Amino acid sequence: MFESIASGLYQTLVVDNRYVLILQGLKNTLIITFFSLLLGLAIGLVVAVVKVAPNSRAMRPLRWLSDLYVTVIRGTPVVVQLIIINGSILKASDNQILIAVVAFGVNSGAYVAEIIRGGILAVDRGQTEAGRSLGLTAGMTMSHIVLPQAFKTTLPSLGNEFIALLKETSVAGYVAIRDLTKAGDSIFSRTYNIASMYIVALIYLVLVIGLTALLGRLERRLHKNDHR
Amino acid sequence: MITVNHLCKDFHHVQVLKDISETIEKGEKVVIVGPSGSGKSTFLRCLNLLEAPTSGEILFEGINLTDRKCDLNRVRRKMGMVFQHFNLFPHLSVQQNITLAPVKLKLQTQQQADENALRLLERIGLADKAKSYPNQLSGGQQQRIAIVRSLAMNPDVMLFDEPTSALDPEMVGEVLELMKELAREGMTMVVVTHEMGFAREVGTRVLFMDEGQIKEQAPPDQFFSSPRHPRLQDFLSKVLTQ
Repeated sequence: MFESIASGLYQTLVVDNRYVLILQGLKNTLIITFFSLLLGLAIGLVVAVVKVAPNSRAMRPLRWLSDLYVTVIRGTPVVVQLIIINGSILKASDNQILIAVVAFGVNSGAYVAEIIRGGILAVDRGQTEAGRSLGLTAGMTMSHIVLPQAFKTTLPSLGNEFIALLKETSVAGYVAIRDLTKAGDSIFSRTYNIASMYIVALIYLVLVIGLTALLGRLERRLHKNDHR
Repeated sequence: MITVNHLCKDFHHVQVLKDISETIEKGEKVVIVGPSGSGKSTFLRCLNLLEAPTSGEILFEGINLTDRKCDLNRVRRKMGMVFQHFNLFPHLSVQQNITLAPVKLKLQTQQQADENALRLLERIGLADKAKSYPNQLSGGQQQRIAIVRSLAMNPDVMLFDEPTSALDPEMVGEVLELMKELAREGMTMVVVTHEMGFAREVGTRVLFMDEGQIKEQAPPDQFFSSPRHPRLQDFLSKVLTQ
């Protein structure tokens, strides 16, 4: 038993320096997750603000676009979106990481938008009125008064989305990106030993546990002034 | 200072304000009373266009606020507003609540605004709360801070929307005291309230609103001692016997 595990690990990690493949895959997964998280947040923030803005004539086309974006992205699988972006929109690019960041970022943005929109709507209307009555513009009121409060209440849901995003990047192998999952899988296909996938699973688990702890700390810090 | 011409406001085809015309002069303390649903809060909120009038005009210091080209944000700096539920910003400290608008609007540097905030807090005896957060304070303290937050913008008029209605009874006094102080200093004030004592003591003119109209107005003495309109007589008989 012990010997079979040891030889599995040897096969998976040591032979041909295969651990390097896993480390490179891990690096790619982290890069893709981090930048698509930022892109998703940026898109989500803009779309959420557009969707809650007063329905003026000038906003109508933007609002229509935002609705279309959220509907299409949430209505189709992320793998399909990834393949489409790889095969058409960014066909000219041979930067596979960029393609993945765009695909996962654009995908995540739709979910983040709905989360933040909910958070904005949960902030009491009196907050906006107080800001506007002081002479602050709609934009200032949104960025200094409403969004900070919305962010705080949506942090648990955003954390959920980030964890889902990290794991969703595991389908990046579909378009020949060597992420963590792909690295484990290609080692498996050579060694016929499932140990590589256990190692991959363990790494994801550790990452998610780490991310959860980080979010928990951020949440406690943001709530330190609450005595409710 | 404020002129209202033929103001009408509908909410979903219900007429809340019916053709109100009124002028408020500099230095006046106008107190608006009336039963709930009479439109008095809506009237007040139309003065700084927190509610957009359905028709009619609002002029403030000669500027037509209902003109589409009017820079409302600039006008609102000069019209302080105090809300029933205080509406302090819970994610900011007391001091940040006061300094946010003057600093973001580039009227004061952060240092000037901080000094001004501390002076204002000193005045209401809450300087030791500068670093506290709103939900660590009592309702009365929060409302007094909301008042000085408006004062930090050096407004020419202060609008009060039932400022004591959400307070525990023992905290009403401290807020009214601060409002009286403002009145003595000559601030122009428009106050929607149920505090008849305040109306009598501080008001220079009392308006009675009912069914979206100003049914009667008079100096406080006359308003309370010899009301003419039967609706006002009925209203006063109910609120004054309590």
